[in-house]
Amino acid sequence: MDNVRSFCIIAHIDHGKSTLADRLIQFCGGVEERDFRDQILDSMDIERERGITIKSNTVTLSYTAKNGETYQLNLIDTPGHVDFSHEVRRSLMSCEGALLLVDASQGVEAQTVANMYLAIEHNLELVPVINKIDLPAADVERVKEEIEEDLGLDAEHAILCSAKKGIGIEGVLEAIVARLPAPTGDPKAPLQALIFDAQYDPYRGAVLLVRVMQGTLRPGQRLVLMHTEIEHELEEVGLLQLKKVKVPKLEAGSVGYVIAGIRSVSDINVGDTITDADNPAEKPLPGYKEAKPVVFSSVYPMSTEEYPELVKALEKLKLNDAALTYEKDSSAALGFGFRCGFLGLLHLEVVQERLRREYDLSLILSAPSVRYRVTTTDGNTTWVDNPSYFPNPAEIERTEEPFIKAAVMMPERYVGAVMELCRERRGEKTTFTYLAVGRVELTSEMPLAEVVFDFNDRLKSTTQGYGSFDYEMLDYRDTDLVKVDILVNAEPVDALSQLVHRDRARMRALHYCERLEDTIPRQQFKIAIQGAIGGEIVARKTINAYRKDVTAKCYGGDISRKRKLLEKQKKGKKRMKMVGSVEIPQSAFVAVLKTDREK
Amino acid sequence: MIIREVKPAGLYIHVPFCSSVCPYCDFAVTIAGADRRSAYLDALDREVAGSADHGLRFDTVYFGGGTPSSLAPDQLARILATINARLDLAPDATRHIEINPDDVSRAAAAAWRELDFTFASLGVQSFSDEVLGFLGRRHGAADARRAAGTLLEAGFTTVSVDLIFGLPGQTADDWRRQLETVLELGVHHLSCYQLTIHDGTVFGRRHALGELRELDEDGQADLYLMTHEILGGAGWEGYEVSNFAAGADHRSRHNRKYWDHTPYLGLGPSAHSFVGRRRWWNQRKSRLWTAAIEEDRSPIEGRETLSDAELFFEAVMLGLRTADGIDRDALQRRFGDEVAAFDEPAVERLAESGHLLVDGARIRPSSKGMAVAEGLVRTVLP
Repeated sequence: MDNVRSFCIIAHIDHGKSTLADRLIQFCGGVEERDFRDQILDSMDIERERGITIKSNTVTLSYTAKNGETYQLNLIDTPGHVDFSHEVRRSLMSCEGALLLVDASQGVEAQTVANMYLAIEHNLELVPVINKIDLPAADVERVKEEIEEDLGLDAEHAILCSAKKGIGIEGVLEAIVARLPAPTGDPKAPLQALIFDAQYDPYRGAVLLVRVMQGTLRPGQRLVLMHTEIEHELEEVGLLQLKKVKVPKLEAGSVGYVIAGIRSVSDINVGDTITDADNPAEKPLPGYKEAKPVVFSSVYPMSTEEYPELVKALEKLKLNDAALTYEKDSSAALGFGFRCGFLGLLHLEVVQERLRREYDLSLILSAPSVRYRVTTTDGNTTWVDNPSYFPNPAEIERTEEPFIKAAVMMPERYVGAVMELCRERRGEKTTFTYLAVGRVELTSEMPLAEVVFDFNDRLKSTTQGYGSFDYEMLDYRDTDLVKVDILVNAEPVDALSQLVHRDRARMRALHYCERLEDTIPRQQFKIAIQGAIGGEIVARKTINAYRKDVTAKCYGGDISRKRKLLEKQKKGKKRMKMVGSVEIPQSAFVAVLKTDREK
Repeated sequence: MIIREVKPAGLYIHVPFCSSVCPYCDFAVTIAGADRRSAYLDALDREVAGSADHGLRFDTVYFGGGTPSSLAPDQLARILATINARLDLAPDATRHIEINPDDVSRAAAAAWRELDFTFASLGVQSFSDEVLGFLGRRHGAADARRAAGTLLEAGFTTVSVDLIFGLPGQTADDWRRQLETVLELGVHHLSCYQLTIHDGTVFGRRHALGELRELDEDGQADLYLMTHEILGGAGWEGYEVSNFAAGADHRSRHNRKYWDHTPYLGLGPSAHSFVGRRRWWNQRKSRLWTAAIEEDRSPIEGRETLSDAELFFEAVMLGLRTADGIDRDALQRRFGDEVAAFDEPAVERLAESGHLLVDGARIRPSSKGMAVAEGLVRTVLP
């Protein structure tokens, strides 16, 4: 165990996190040259393309240090967004230390700071690494100063490297070995293994990524997942060395995988503790939270013919995405679809993107909603996350919405702006405390509905990226909820209906009308777009008819070209939804759901 | 055995030469000296000679360009002689020629008439000196009027003028004066084109630089509908999106063939041909076309064979650009119900909104409909 080091890499986007990971893997011979590809730990296209990590991943490397000893290094790659903060926290819990990577020309950036706070919270040992020292614009001395001043870390022993050029990689590895602590734990103690993520394997089912805290995992053991209380027989344990490498056991301090006949990732919960049924631990590891969807949206195929494919695609996605929920739904405007639950908006985007990309589905999503509690005059209480099921206002006794406690960490200078942002978002009991000199934690009790949409984006822009944000659920509180409907030429577009606080309803209705005005192409007749609250029209926009198109000559030569052009335009018609007599493009549904921050 | 097409076909001859290139033009044109012209004529002779085996009988021949009137009458005569010798051109075929006002003189007009040209399209573009300057034309407004008069006197059956509308800043009054001039001159036909700015032209570059803006859509629509109103008031008919005639006799018999899938053969650079369900087109660049023929290679640059669905799409697209519209029964007989399907609710909506006139199986565009002809096809097809 003394020769094990488990660590993650903390960095601002583009500071070279993936490249450094790639180099460490290559240096340790973790991958054959011919199997290597950039960003090797990010397996999903969407991760590689957007430069974000959605699923945690891990790789165990074997490194022979200058002192002659061979070490087992566990590099844990973590997601970086509040939607997945649960996974991030579990991943950090699995590490003893972190490399804090800073670009030698860009210096310390917001995200570096925000992520560092999270690492400090988990008591990780930090090693500053200055990357891209080969760049002409590199200014190592300045960056060192920033590390000392902005991060409060000792920069004197910062490691210098260029991951891209492969310079200084050994220095990084030596620092990991010398400066990060070895794990603690007792292989003989009752088993406690933390599930920090899970992957789906079509042949083996769920493959759990675990960090063994205490005890030992051995195939044949009867395992209990302490929170879900489900028993499984342990089939196989191993190390992830980019591919799965089976080992006889995993002892305290190890990071590896577990296969135990669990059908899908949905059957387990990240953060759960695995123990031995015959010699159970007294209690599970702390910090467990069930991944519950908080944002709901209906997903419809653009073309009704694609519905069966959507069914299949969701079933498959669900195998690898425990947090995603879905049930049948239908819309007068859009036909059959599914009501889906997500961890947050990024999660929603990721699912949408994967459906589009991996399953080639063209989708329309309804306005996202949180889950409200509605008590009707007959005394019944129901949960409503779909505006279609919102009762008649006359029959509503009381509406309640979920509140959360938001915790924002940021440099002191942004406190004023962030307090204003919280007030705007109906935040209550907003207070702040100094965590250290110049560093502030602000807490505020806010309606979840105000947070899930674009709070994180707004926070990032308000604090120029230096603010980090996390939240926990509090309770349900009374609210004044109304349903905003959007009508296009007097036809309601149910997929655009939304439940909104009364104070916000008028603005939201107007915003929707404006967005539709911008995105519905002009048609041969005038289109009226109206926003209504309980039947009362509160916003209205008009799209004038188009009266003239470009009617170039149509003599011999132009015919093929023109036909092809118009055929292409006509194909676009298939991507339109008819609402009454109006063609609404998919892009309009998408645009409406975009945040209104630029307005 | 040669199988004759039942419908008489149209013959198009592309004359690519211009004395200067207009800043808005994206047609296949070239400014070339005598050598190139002579090489062109030789190549054209060979292309005509090689086209006999299509087995088409032609009852229209159209000299377009470019500027056909920039060829000397004896050069035009030479082309016609080759055509008569090699192809089956009906003796009473309509002979149509595009003429630049610059090239018009009494002598030239007489020479063209001598060659039996009966339909003259005069590239006036505008009756305003200011606009002509902007469009980079070499002739003035007075030249244009004079040229029209000369052609009328020379006894062309149909004299047509080409006008461009929708110029940046063009007012309704300005366009009204243009149309009134057309009526005053006593010509029989008007082709009017909305100024379209194409990439790769001088106007395209100026547009990209922000120096030039097309008239806004409402302005375009107003001018276009006004054209129907004013000419309609004078007893003219707008028989196609861009074409107006003082009576059915003055419609262009040749151009109609492009719109109703009558076969046509196009010779010369960039010319398109259509027979049955095949369409092909020649090398666009004059030089490449000439070289191909000189080296005994095919001058054809591309070809396609249209499926029923494509033919149907074109029939609707082209038909809805003409006042005669489309006959749904006829289309369904030609293509079958499967292919010849319509978005019925959309047709009804367009009838309600006054874009289409539905008369049994026939659907015709109104002038309001013609103004948005491009959009109609997309809307009426499922």
